[in-house]
Amino acid sequence: MKEKNLQSADVKQKELDKVLEVNKNLYEKLNKLPEIEAIGTIEVGKEGPVKKNKEDGFLKKYLNKIRLAYLENELVRYAAWSIVLIFISTSALTIIEYDMFYNDVAADIEGSFTFGGEKPNWLDTFFHTFWWSIVTFTTVGYGDVSPVTHLGKLLTIIIMLLNFGVVTLLGGAVASVLVAQKLKGDVVLDENKFNKHLIIAGWNNTVPAILKLIDSNLESNPVIILVNETDPEILQRNLGSFKRLDITHISENFTQESVLKKAFIENAETLMILPDNSGLLPHEEPAEDKAVLTCLTAKSISESCNVVAHVLNSENVSHLQRANANEIVIPDEHVPHLLAKHVTDPGVPQFFDDLILEEKENKGLQEVDIPKTLMGQTHNKISAFYKFKYGWLLVGYAIKKSGFSLDDQMGESGSPLIRDMIKEQLDGAGINLASDEHVVVEINPKDDYKIDNKHRALVLR
Amino acid sequence: MNPSAEQIKKINHFSKVQIESCQKIANVVELKTCEPKEHLFKEGDTGDTMILVFQGQVEVSKDMMVKTSSGFTTSRKSIIRLETTDPRPSKPPEINSTVFIVEAPAFGIGEFSLVLDNAIRTAHVHSTTPLQYGVLKLDDFTDIVKENPGIGGNVYFEVAKAAVKNLATVSGDVSNLTQAFFYALSR
Repeated sequence: MKEKNLQSADVKQKELDKVLEVNKNLYEKLNKLPEIEAIGTIEVGKEGPVKKNKEDGFLKKYLNKIRLAYLENELVRYAAWSIVLIFISTSALTIIEYDMFYNDVAADIEGSFTFGGEKPNWLDTFFHTFWWSIVTFTTVGYGDVSPVTHLGKLLTIIIMLLNFGVVTLLGGAVASVLVAQKLKGDVVLDENKFNKHLIIAGWNNTVPAILKLIDSNLESNPVIILVNETDPEILQRNLGSFKRLDITHISENFTQESVLKKAFIENAETLMILPDNSGLLPHEEPAEDKAVLTCLTAKSISESCNVVAHVLNSENVSHLQRANANEIVIPDEHVPHLLAKHVTDPGVPQFFDDLILEEKENKGLQEVDIPKTLMGQTHNKISAFYKFKYGWLLVGYAIKKSGFSLDDQMGESGSPLIRDMIKEQLDGAGINLASDEHVVVEINPKDDYKIDNKHRALVLR
Repeated sequence: MNPSAEQIKKINHFSKVQIESCQKIANVVELKTCEPKEHLFKEGDTGDTMILVFQGQVEVSKDMMVKTSSGFTTSRKSIIRLETTDPRPSKPPEINSTVFIVEAPAFGIGEFSLVLDNAIRTAHVHSTTPLQYGVLKLDDFTDIVKENPGIGGNVYFEVAKAAVKNLATVSGDVSNLTQAFFYALSR
């Protein structure tokens, strides 16, 4: 503390001005760099085609949804075909009993709107027949119109008999689909929707807060699957308020392979494993071995899935490490530091609270992509780019480090034969030669620190 | 029939030996030929001869345990092929292989027999093309060295160099295998 005070007291106004001037010049120079100016134009140009793609994707998605609904749902198939049937019979009747329906519609709607203007035309007649058809089909039978000729009556008999079948089938279909769903206890999820999504396994009172933060970061993937056996009512109470998130709930045991597969873990970006309070009484502790099991299962299905596990008991950390969890969060880890900071640097804990807890819509500390054209540049240039283009403060970088690689480790030592044999044998045993990537951070590096494509920027927005 | 002194000098182990001394070695080497697929050394055998290959290609292979769908079995794996460049083999090899081919004007195999009684052959060697080679016996070589100690110095130095190189490779192999072992266990 003393040192800090001394330092600030020693800085004279002149020196301060000088430093400010130098920094200003540097930033201005950096901002004039051709590559940074070029970035500005590239980024703006990029947005056009991306948007168009989105629209195309939207239409395609809807068509696909309809197609899937038709293929998967019996009810939709029956409904579609009964509508077709009604149309066919209506058309037939319109043709056969045209005179009768025409006269009827002419007498009925005199003076009111008609498709044909002054006199009703074929469309009015068809609509009238259609009305009659629906009235007959639904067994309402107002009796305002009825066929006169033998042929018309014969057709009506057929329609009425058909209707009997369709109504029975429709009723049966509704019942069977409902019963089938109840028995299966699930809804088939549309695989197209789930790509790079987040799976949250387990439920406890931190989930709504986690979801709130994800909801407020507009750049994060909004597709989330919750897997837990908590009472759906509790979920509904807690999940109502998110405007952006697309949440699906699978009410099954998340340690099972089939359940994780149902949540499309092979396409998922991240699996978050939380201490599961589902169905526990307030004094009961969640079973943490479930987290280890889930991690093992998940990694065996998809090695590339990023597994973040939250454990209450630090003894489980080593088990999770062995199960290859990418990140392990222990809740009380930060507490001693925060408490100490209240004494040594008051203000720092509050800063953290504001930064992490009070995340507003696209404000606060966020990880963003660095434009490809800036790869290979130094930190001061990247920093200037964010400052001038967006007004964000670049505080550091998250760097994806590839994990331990046996291949790299062996290098060129020993004979190639033995190296190949090791690789072959490990591969045959299903052991990956490299451990997973993990993220390290570099906070406030030196100006000449070079950025490569493994870096993502941490910015204060 | 004996090879010429020039043929002997082409072999790495004898390259530093004076041509007159090479002639002395050539005098005790018996020149032979063989067809492809003929076994020159068998892994695990003991031997007191070094083979000097003047023309052709040989394949060095080792018996290794491999895991197959039906369990563990021993299978012969080729490690390397050695080929002469002066002159080139008279015919291309009958079976092509993906293993690395080391080229040399002429080469010697089983050189450890020159320093060790009953040296154990560390690998199988068989011909892959028609071969012209010579056999140098340990006793004959020892007799020459006794008379001309200078030859011994040059040849033993080359053999020692090869031995040291092998040792470095083997040490690398042990380190790689140990790492792989722990890596596999920790998974």
